[in-house]
Amino acid sequence: MEPAAVPQQASLTGVEALYCDHHGWLLGWLRRRLGNSCDAADLAHDTFARILAGRRVEDIREPRAYLTTVARGILVNWYERQALERAYLEALARLPEPEAPSPEQRQVILETLHQIDAMLDALPARVRRAFLLSQIEGLRYDAIAQRLGCSLATVKRYMKQAFVQCLAQMD
Amino acid sequence: MRAAAAISPDVLEQAAEWLVRLHAGGVSDDDRQACERWRRAHPEHARAWARAERLANRLGGLPPDLAMPALDRPRGASRRAVLGLAGLLALTPAGWLGWRLAQREGWTAAYRTAAGERRDIRLADGSTVTLNTASAIDLRFDAAQRTVLLRGGEILVQTAQDTAASARPFRVRTAEGWVRALGTRFSVRQREGRTDVAVFEHAVRLEPERAPASGFLTLPAGHAACFTDSRAGTAADLATGAGAWTRGMLMADGMRLADLAAELARYRGGIVRCDPAVAGVRVSGAFPLDDTDLALAMLASTYPVAARRRLGGYWVALEPA
Repeated sequence: MEPAAVPQQASLTGVEALYCDHHGWLLGWLRRRLGNSCDAADLAHDTFARILAGRRVEDIREPRAYLTTVARGILVNWYERQALERAYLEALARLPEPEAPSPEQRQVILETLHQIDAMLDALPARVRRAFLLSQIEGLRYDAIAQRLGCSLATVKRYMKQAFVQCLAQMD
Repeated sequence: MRAAAAISPDVLEQAAEWLVRLHAGGVSDDDRQACERWRRAHPEHARAWARAERLANRLGGLPPDLAMPALDRPRGASRRAVLGLAGLLALTPAGWLGWRLAQREGWTAAYRTAAGERRDIRLADGSTVTLNTASAIDLRFDAAQRTVLLRGGEILVQTAQDTAASARPFRVRTAEGWVRALGTRFSVRQREGRTDVAVFEHAVRLEPERAPASGFLTLPAGHAACFTDSRAGTAADLATGAGAWTRGMLMADGMRLADLAAELARYRGGIVRCDPAVAGVRVSGAFPLDDTDLALAMLASTYPVAARRRLGGYWVALEPA
């Protein structure tokens, strides 16, 4: 490839170089943390995909430090997804048999939970809890205020914050 | 996402205010009509409201019994574990507790095994460490030390003669303190609030974190003991079949069924519950750890218990047959 390429191409070349030089190392780093190669390969792929979608690779001075920073963020998301699935399976196990959803329903519910979870990710814990108590449990605002030990006005503020967050992320 | 669908933050905020109002108790027809007027006032409002309806559909389809535990779970442990490690490690002993909390799941550890997995790791000095199911370790090998940090689970250590110019101690660090190898083969298991140690060759020394040197315990081959962070327990003879997990076996000799269930659960990626009615049943035998379904079937064929499965075996209950 010509070195005098336009910026976009230059950036792609940069990612290629980053990939060739460090992909194996990143894979090893992830594999040691995850204990298996399949997940490590997936997460390494996600790491490079995020870098490709993000900033100019030429600006990266410490490639491995940068790669681990991005990979850590991806690891955190991955662990949260795992944690959600675990909590979901445990909740499923507690359901009386007749109420348990079918395998297809389970999958749909899990996918929806992942979407909601991602939308609520950036919210403070109390805001998220107020929102869930209202929208999932169906509690009234005054009951939520009592549960959280805050004022009605605060509950409304929490609700608005959470709705804005969700609406901004809906497509 | 399509650019045409972009909605200004102001409009999203207005939509959110309507949602808050309509979800509050005591909504009047006037409120509903006012909301409807707002929706019709501008195409962008209508688009924002369409989003709100899709959101309501998504949330409304979720069974509370399942959605609440999943979405309202304690969060951020993984974030702290992944991000906070480097800084916390330097802080001791004040940071030790936080470090332990972050480490409990072993998520950031250099080497780990999943449930049901076993793994041998050969160390730089020729020693080997075998990780049992759901275990995690980190290594600190340098000019002064050979240290294995046990983050969780269980390991078997077979030490090698140190080849370095000056012999470095070989030690295992747990949440409660140190296990110092005196040229040996031994296993260490991290439990809740205590460490279990079994010695198969030579000896090890147990050094609880907060005990004076006089409180250390030297444990000879053929013995097992546990220690908390303040004191070491007394040495007992090694149970028959201790360390059999390295060969994929669990040896039970008059073991309570509840204890066996807890052991088997370590090797499955799921939950094993034991009905109180059969918890005290004493069971004996050699059970395969690499095939816990077979182990459960063996139990059910020999003892008056039944293994009831749900969720494709994720959840198993041992009940009276």
